[in-house]
Amino acid sequence: MSSDVQGLLNQLEKKELYELAKLRKINIPAKWPKPLIVELLALNVSKSEIQNRVTTRFEARITPTKDSAIIIKDLVKQFEDVTAVDELTLEIREGELFSLLGPNGAGKTTTINILNGILQPTAGTAIVGGYDVQTNLKEVKALIGVCPQEAAVFQFLNARENIELFGKLHAVPKKALDERTNTLLELLDLAEVSNRKVKGYSGGMLRKLNLIIALISDPKIAFLDEPTVGMDPRARRATWKFIESLKNQGKTIILTTHYIEEAEALSDRVGIIDYGKLIELGTPPELMEKYNAKNLEEVFLKITGRRLVEGM
Amino acid sequence: MELKKLIRQPAHLFLSLLFPAILTLTFGFVFRDPELGMDLNVLIPGLISYAVIFIIMTIAQSFSTERQEGLLKRMNTTPMTSAEFMGSQIITNMMVAILQVIVVFVIATLMGFRPKSGVNGIFLALLVIALFSLSSVGLGLITATVSKNPETATGVSFVFILPQMFLGTFIPITDTTRQIAQFIPSYYVVDALTLIFGGDWTNANILLDVSVISIVSVIIVAIGIMLFNKFGNV
Repeated sequence: MSSDVQGLLNQLEKKELYELAKLRKINIPAKWPKPLIVELLALNVSKSEIQNRVTTRFEARITPTKDSAIIIKDLVKQFEDVTAVDELTLEIREGELFSLLGPNGAGKTTTINILNGILQPTAGTAIVGGYDVQTNLKEVKALIGVCPQEAAVFQFLNARENIELFGKLHAVPKKALDERTNTLLELLDLAEVSNRKVKGYSGGMLRKLNLIIALISDPKIAFLDEPTVGMDPRARRATWKFIESLKNQGKTIILTTHYIEEAEALSDRVGIIDYGKLIELGTPPELMEKYNAKNLEEVFLKITGRRLVEGM
Repeated sequence: MELKKLIRQPAHLFLSLLFPAILTLTFGFVFRDPELGMDLNVLIPGLISYAVIFIIMTIAQSFSTERQEGLLKRMNTTPMTSAEFMGSQIITNMMVAILQVIVVFVIATLMGFRPKSGVNGIFLALLVIALFSLSSVGLGLITATVSKNPETATGVSFVFILPQMFLGTFIPITDTTRQIAQFIPSYYVVDALTLIFGGDWTNANILLDVSVISIVSVIIVAIGIMLFNKFGNV
């Protein structure tokens, strides 16, 4: 029934939805994404419950300290009529492994792309390693390593050549570059195939190479965007072990994932994002206890009424 | 890295080096006819220009592919600046252009081409080609900016390649088409190279040709870089 109502509501213009909300005496803030308004108006709950969901806006308490690796304040990214990141406020501590969890289209990758300088924010601020991404981007790039969602490697080069190329772009000295290349290839089990052209690699091997390239400059802060997509379970667990070892080296890691087990197994804290908004924040045990849930999937379900996988 | 790309990607290798060689051999043997005014002295400057024009396509394909595969985005997360990246592309493609000249020159010499320019003239010819390659890089970047993928880039690149092919290489032009050709960079390249290889390399027209090529090429490459950085990079 709810989906029938949603279907009807989806046919209305955003202006008309706001009018409908007004008739029901529900105050919805301006610039809310249309899907969220439709979902709220289609809920078979009391008006006060709907208003409660609208006005409960999760705010992460920010107390920036010298141990803050990343500070995000009221970050907004608008693409035409889509608000991909909606007043995101967050602090990530140095040495922390922080996961951004959410369905596809939630705004995780957009947030990462703002923090690593690919995208400019529409509003708000983002400080990475003490530098503002809008005014000191070169300093930010010197501190970070990025493992993007797609396996962005040069197909006509072999693994070693790819790693060395990106190492040189990060101005890593030759001796350190050679040592680190050999170490990382060994740790991620690519040493034996490192002289083969990447064109013949499997999906899992490409993801591992992607990860190595992100870490070749020994960054203080690493952004890992869905690093284990396409890996078999054995390779995934080995990669988790590797990512944990990075944390033990004192690196700050920001991980985006829609694998619940990955977020639960690795994260110090998890930020749950939906429709560009941060809707919950805490350690996995804290969140599961707060929502009386067996896992983070259930936490998401209890907050949004949707499954994390359905949102994909 | 760009040299490895050239050697390891057959399409690039073909367009950059083998195509000019094949062209020189074909036109040198088949279409050479002094009665038609198509002897080597006329053909070779045009063939050199023809080869360099195709850098537009290789640049457009290369940038479109790297954008599609997320490589440009990834390189954007490194401390390398846009100026450094574009600079490396320009220098590499200048070297490719010079290699192309050498390939055409060697084959033409084996076929009996005897330029009257001397060593100084050859260096001047290489300078002309290096400057002309800038405009090809710029037009390649403009093409990559407007093309969603490498396949589209290939097609769109002909918008810039064909006019230069027909109005500024070895294809004879009439007085009427000359009016239009004067707006095409390759027209000045062929004119300059013809004078240089003809031994008249101190001719004042060469200065005019080189000036036009320099100014136009710098403007085109600047526009190409600006447009690509603003609209084509991500």
